[in-house]
Amino acid sequence: MALKLKAESRNYRLPQTLEVIRGNIVKYGNPLGLKGNEIAVWARDLNLPRQGDVLLYTGGEYQLVPYIDSLVNMLTRMNQGSVGFSLMMGVRNLIDMVGINPEKIVAGVGSRDRERYRDVNRKAALVLEEMGLKICYLGEEEIYSGALLYEYGFVGDLRQHARKVTELIKSTGARTIICLSPHSAEIFKLIYPRLVDNFHYEVKTFLETVYDLVKDVSGRLPTGFSGNVTVHDSCRMARELGITEEIRDILSKIEGVTLIEPELNRRWTTCCGGPGKVLFPELSGKIAARRVGELAATNADLVITFCPYCLAALDKGQREGQKNIQIEDFIEFLYRGIVK
Amino acid sequence: MSSVLERLFQKYTAELNKASDDPNIQLALSRAVKSYRDNTEAALKRFPHTPKLAEEVRAIKETAIERMDELVTQARQAIEANHGKTYLAKSREDALKLAEDIIGTGKIVVKGKSILGEELEIRDYLIEKGNEVWETDLGEFILQLRHERPMHIVSPSIHVPREKVAELFTEFFGREIPPDIAAEVGAVREFMREKYFSAHFGMSGANVVAADCGAMVIMENEGNARICTAVPPVHIALVGIEKVAPTFQEAMKVAEVTWRYANYTVPGYVNIISGPSKTGDIEKVTTYGAHGPRELHVILVDNGRSEMAANPLFRQGLYCLRCGGCMYECPVFQLTAGHFGYRYLGGIGAIWTAFVAGGMDNAAPLIYTCLRCGRCVERCPVSIDVPSMIAELRRRIVELAHKAG
Repeated sequence: MALKLKAESRNYRLPQTLEVIRGNIVKYGNPLGLKGNEIAVWARDLNLPRQGDVLLYTGGEYQLVPYIDSLVNMLTRMNQGSVGFSLMMGVRNLIDMVGINPEKIVAGVGSRDRERYRDVNRKAALVLEEMGLKICYLGEEEIYSGALLYEYGFVGDLRQHARKVTELIKSTGARTIICLSPHSAEIFKLIYPRLVDNFHYEVKTFLETVYDLVKDVSGRLPTGFSGNVTVHDSCRMARELGITEEIRDILSKIEGVTLIEPELNRRWTTCCGGPGKVLFPELSGKIAARRVGELAATNADLVITFCPYCLAALDKGQREGQKNIQIEDFIEFLYRGIVK
Repeated sequence: MSSVLERLFQKYTAELNKASDDPNIQLALSRAVKSYRDNTEAALKRFPHTPKLAEEVRAIKETAIERMDELVTQARQAIEANHGKTYLAKSREDALKLAEDIIGTGKIVVKGKSILGEELEIRDYLIEKGNEVWETDLGEFILQLRHERPMHIVSPSIHVPREKVAELFTEFFGREIPPDIAAEVGAVREFMREKYFSAHFGMSGANVVAADCGAMVIMENEGNARICTAVPPVHIALVGIEKVAPTFQEAMKVAEVTWRYANYTVPGYVNIISGPSKTGDIEKVTTYGAHGPRELHVILVDNGRSEMAANPLFRQGLYCLRCGGCMYECPVFQLTAGHFGYRYLGGIGAIWTAFVAGGMDNAAPLIYTCLRCGRCVERCPVSIDVPSMIAELRRRIVELAHKAG
């Protein structure tokens, strides 16, 4: 039963799924080739300026998450008779099906999910404005940071892509970038400075931004929720960026909320399985279910997380495992109390 | 037509998914993870100096790898001065040939657990050359009979429950062995005793080698390594060149940290071997082969390690003590055990596989399996940054793929 993985030749073509994602980022600015108006539709009525000191950067990531799930579902279903099969099966058709023409994945996205994930961006913008921060936004021109290019090893492509992203950011005149996804924050903070010249921006996650705005505020923050919450630290946040205490401080300032820590928290947090979703969807789902189990063991009412991939992975794990705990993004959680 | 890499991915993914659906693996691993964490916590609590010592060991490893060639030379001189023979094998093929030259054919070899042995696939090689080779570690013996590879570096047969062991032993020993762990252990003990005393060669690995005096430290719990290295007339040790530490004192620090993070307060046996058995009791004339082996052969193996050492990013891979702690923390390993691996297991195993066990052909699927979540780094006593090395290996795979067109 020993695994024999010896290749017979030096035929090193990569799994097509990776090439498809790469091609889309390079050509269309995001991993699935979604159109700019799909990414920016959430901001339609907000009249956010294109230029300013502080740039709100979504990277299209919350918007994209339901489409990625749709793609993964579709490809897993495609392998009929062998659920256990990888996405590599049937890749011949992948480009025709989804590569540069994502209508089919779009059709597979439930409107509720699409609305929810789009709305995270709107809520983030409204929370920041409510807290008195003036933000600008690139709108339909915004493109993805390219974190997946780095993740999958396409560093040469990332170098090219990063130049485009940098030009766009430069054109806003901003000095500070607020990233909704920790993956964008990580890549801007740790990787871009190695790839492009003069990338000197203050890069902050949404969580840090809120923390800076409220840390010296005496008195309590309003909330639309009362009960027990637990926190799922994202790997990137806790381990790469070292951001663990901010969320705890913020929660301690919120009325009616009790934090129950999961056994594995902060730097010991467990991965949500998200990074494996595209190549190993089954394993990814099982890892998510386990993490949901660890979080549900706190008996809290609500899990708060702060990464689009964690949100999607845990939410799916919660639904499939029918665990009696809700999963919310920190942005959604905050919006309820602060804006409404 | 799909490419080789794609087909490898398909087969490998199917294996991973199958493992993650296997109730034996899931039950065994969930128990193992829990007991690993509990035992390690208890061991660290009882010996609270350990994390500090681990920092010291990181510094020792940094120095040792920096000076690896020099320390290997020094260790060889020390062992030779102790009347042992030493060899430096550049490649897997060299190492196997050296062992074959010493052993020949038609011999009985009893072998202790060695990950380097897995890397070299030495058991199969020696059997092919007409020898009888027995794995004496209980877990390895079970896997030898099942024709399987280890699923964990410290607990290789972690996925086989007692009922399966009983079936296997009943067939092998040709008599009823009940699914009772003590009876199973007893049957192997009885069988192995005869082998130890008829063996021509005993073979072992080593956890660390002190360059100043040539002492090799071999830690174990069963006592099999002790017998393998003491009873047969010739002892052959296979040692990766990254195992050198400058001094005896430092080697002991490395050893203590290794076993502590392998979840032991102290292992049952810590063997220290620096030369063949000798006596001077009659007329002060040194005579070799008193009670233990009259010959000691130490084969130091490079097989890609120098290449790792030469790279400032990958050098840290050689700091790995093989305590196995990272695997218990890896979300993928917790579902799939050693199926996430090839000779070397888990995220750090993907890196080792790339350098010493067949290159990218074998490592590419593993390299893309790692979540880069970084939990292993938290557990690792010497803080090896696996995610950064995985990112760099992916970059290299993409480069290879694009070169191939």
